[in-house]
Amino acid sequence: MRKTLTAGIAVGAVAALAAFAPAYAISDTTADLSVLHGIPDTPVDVYVNGELTLDDFQPGDLAGPLDLPAGDYVVALTAPDAADDSAPVLGPITLTLEANKSYTAVAHLDADGAPTAKLFTNDISATDAGQGRLTVRHVAAAPAVDILAGGQAVVSGLANPDEASLDLAAGTVSAAVALAGTTDPVIGPADVTVSEGALTIVYAWGSAADENLALAVQTVSGLHSGPDGVNTGEAGLAAENGSTGWLFGAGAALLLAVAAGSVLSVRAANARR
Amino acid sequence: MAMSRLLPALVAVAMIGTLAACTTPDAEGGIPNPPSASATAAPAPTPSVSVPVVRATPTPPPVPSPEPTALVLPDLGVDMPVDPVGVQADGAMEIPTDPAVAGWYRFGPAPADAAGATVIAAHVDSRVYGLGPLARLRDAQPGQQVSVTDAAGTTTTYVVESVTYIPRAQLPVDELFSREGPRSLVVITCGGSFDERTRSYSDNVVLVAREA
Repeated sequence: MRKTLTAGIAVGAVAALAAFAPAYAISDTTADLSVLHGIPDTPVDVYVNGELTLDDFQPGDLAGPLDLPAGDYVVALTAPDAADDSAPVLGPITLTLEANKSYTAVAHLDADGAPTAKLFTNDISATDAGQGRLTVRHVAAAPAVDILAGGQAVVSGLANPDEASLDLAAGTVSAAVALAGTTDPVIGPADVTVSEGALTIVYAWGSAADENLALAVQTVSGLHSGPDGVNTGEAGLAAENGSTGWLFGAGAALLLAVAAGSVLSVRAANARR
Repeated sequence: MAMSRLLPALVAVAMIGTLAACTTPDAEGGIPNPPSASATAAPAPTPSVSVPVVRATPTPPPVPSPEPTALVLPDLGVDMPVDPVGVQADGAMEIPTDPAVAGWYRFGPAPADAAGATVIAAHVDSRVYGLGPLARLRDAQPGQQVSVTDAAGTTTTYVVESVTYIPRAQLPVDELFSREGPRSLVVITCGGSFDERTRSYSDNVVLVAREA
């Protein structure tokens, strides 16, 4: 009979499958940075540390991710085709990036409609098998909002520039944004796919006053983890210890049945007498 | 002083930006649009790096790969239908009740995917249905063929590399359910000794096969 291998050998045997990387790891020295442009009607050039990095960056566009060494970066947004970053329309601001983290820098409007920027840290911790993570961020010139999924508020009273996250079963969510305490959508509803093992970030951006509120979506994949186990038997019919359990029970039952049968036949024999 | 601090960072940004331009962006939604270089006469600078840029509009869900529909191990006389399965409330892989039907882990790779392990599992037995075909999985030998047919009618053939008994609590799920690495097939059932009290087997029997 084959013997059960020790776990170490077994893992070695299957580890040949793939070099296993833990759920979303960036590196011990670098960070991932994406940039979202959420200021309506205002194409810009983006300068990082004085160097033109994004040319003619359009509202609603998402750039990156860039794998950058951890550290400080000075970012300035200028009018398109400016000669340099000496006259920024926004910034300069300093972004501090820590190693092994995922960030999204968002240029957006504050609640009152003035251009501003915020560096969000994306939650890339592992998700449970079957689950995806949904993060919602309010970066629109609008009052506090509720986020509705399938018509129900799943996040309440989210104010600019705050965020909220939840893990949920992977699938498609009909997402809408309503002013806090109401259910009449000011954005959407729109179908948002929450993929298994991925972070889906939904931004509400634009301006309520200018009637150009919209949703932007960013995804970060690779957060998945395997199921907790594979439990594939319940009867003991394929057992290799051959003595315990259901087999024994079945055997005992069979013996009892045989015994009962003999008793019955004995009785029958007696009755015939 | 400030310049000397900034320079290495700039060089690093430029180098990494070049690398990033060769890879697909994590953001889903298609082909990166490289920033268009301005063609105006003004002495506007051009970017020193190429950063992938996509529209951040909501995108329809990606089209899934065709799901496996049949698992065949000819040397063992196994030919069983396969249903897509997910995760139970307790976090374990969902398994079809009937041991004659196998489950494919639908959150992981399918045979048509470019990388990773297609994972298929079935009960070895059931109190209702009796022994299942995968009771013979422990008899598989390295070098034997295993094939999986998917809903598109494509049959992918794999060659058995190993059949291993692993204590169930120590099953290396993250390796076995890997979504990276070579295209491979993992078939899992139970085996070893049976504990009547917990109505469970001591081990998983794990077959690992690589694309032929």
